[in-house]
Amino acid sequence: MIRLLNVSMMPPGVGQPVLRNLTLTVPQGEFRWLLGPSGAGKSSLLRLLTLETRPSAGQMDLLGVSVSQASRATLRNLRRRIGFVPQDYRLIGEWTVFDNVALPLRLRGASERDTRREAFAVLEWLDVAHLADKRPGTLSGGEQQRAAIARALIGRPEVLLADEPTNALEDAQARRLLATFQELVEMGTTVIVATHNEALVREAPAASIVLQDGTLAGADPQDGIAARRSDRA
Amino acid sequence: MSAPVSPGLRSGSLPLLVALMTLLAGLSLAGLTGVQTLAEGWAGAARNATTIEIPSDTLQLEDRTRTLIQTLHKTPDVTTVRELSPQQVQTLLAPWLGQVSDSGHLPGLSLPVVLIVAHTGTPDLGKVVHAALPEAVVEEDRRWGERLNGLGSSLVACAWLAVSLIAAIAILSVGMTVRRSVMAQRKAVEIVHFLGAGDVTISSRIAGRAALLSLAGGLAGLFFLSPVITMLARKLAPFSHDAGPAALPATTWQTMLASWWNTLHVLPRFLLEELGALPLIAACLGWLTAQTVVLVWLRRLP
Repeated sequence: MIRLLNVSMMPPGVGQPVLRNLTLTVPQGEFRWLLGPSGAGKSSLLRLLTLETRPSAGQMDLLGVSVSQASRATLRNLRRRIGFVPQDYRLIGEWTVFDNVALPLRLRGASERDTRREAFAVLEWLDVAHLADKRPGTLSGGEQQRAAIARALIGRPEVLLADEPTNALEDAQARRLLATFQELVEMGTTVIVATHNEALVREAPAASIVLQDGTLAGADPQDGIAARRSDRA
Repeated sequence: MSAPVSPGLRSGSLPLLVALMTLLAGLSLAGLTGVQTLAEGWAGAARNATTIEIPSDTLQLEDRTRTLIQTLHKTPDVTTVRELSPQQVQTLLAPWLGQVSDSGHLPGLSLPVVLIVAHTGTPDLGKVVHAALPEAVVEEDRRWGERLNGLGSSLVACAWLAVSLIAAIAILSVGMTVRRSVMAQRKAVEIVHFLGAGDVTISSRIAGRAALLSLAGGLAGLFFLSPVITMLARKLAPFSHDAGPAALPATTWQTMLASWWNTLHVLPRFLLEELGALPLIAACLGWLTAQTVVLVWLRRLP
């Protein structure tokens, strides 16, 4: 579960907070769109949720851990339970795609055999297994995005966060990715996807977090993926 | 090669820097050993000798001198008593009094009788000599030994200071290289950190590489150090109390190699051990410095 209570975030050297008094709750195993115009604070909220920074004020609980008071070791363990697809992919250029994708499992101490099996399974699913030995710099934007998605999915995270995960994908691939997110939600993963892609949102209506100027402009509880899961149950 | 879980170290000129530092540290250690050995040898020789001067105007000079020599021979701890000949005394004093005349005497001066007494331990020769011959002057060379010891200690302290400075410069160089490397790979380090890598996981990989490169640099430094040490050992051999290496004419590779091996063989064992330990010390310093620099840098991240 994700719970924010009056959370504000002011990056160092910036005169005013980029997020102000944010209060929201996302129960475990639910899907949320994260919507809002550019500069609304979507990326800042994702930075908070991926533990790249701590709140300047307020209380933030993630997977039962109070982030504001957590030690470095606690945050490290928490990060291993979170998958993130950054907008700029953030792949390590000196490593192969396989090593990039395998990293979360290796950090958890998984055996090399299991790591290899899982990494190739997810790479094959995303149609990039043939690029496993390539360096990210030699790949197209779409291929790099799929590698970043593979890295986020490989650890079967309890929380999956994605920042514009479909902007370099073809429509069919984007739809497939949404279906995967739906499967993850059904398995109990909390998924939050930030996007500008209105067509995608229309295609998979779900509850959304709408930000405007760093504040919560609305939380739209539409009948979405999570609701459909509840219906099936 | 192990699977990567963190960015490595961009070495830059680290091995070269460490090689140079090893070379300098090795030279300082060799100098330190040389100074220590010479000072100990000279001080030891001085500690175990006493010079007795008997003025030439002493009454019954010859008889009383003979009696004194006999008394000294009977004194415990005295090993030898040697009376210098007038020529030897003149030669000894020549640096201060100038060359002797053709007659064999210094003009206007009558030279004292000089006895050199070698002994073990610290017998109170002053008491013995003054009881037998109150006019005699006892010059205990022990004082010179203490002065030489003091000089030796000062030089040793200087050499250690030089070694410490070299170690400090080496640590600084490794630290700057590691920091530059981390800054150059900042994005990759942050990615790994935010995926849940522990600080020690990140720092250990960089430190391991720093240790390996420092070891390589240290070995290279040692390789370049050995001919320099050999050359210095040959130059200093005549000043040593031990027999120096047999000098072979270095005309062919074989003779040069044999000459180097001979010299290496006569170097003090502890010096060889210290030099041999230099690459390992460099590796340890490299590892520790890299660990510290990376761990401190990582503290900035949440």
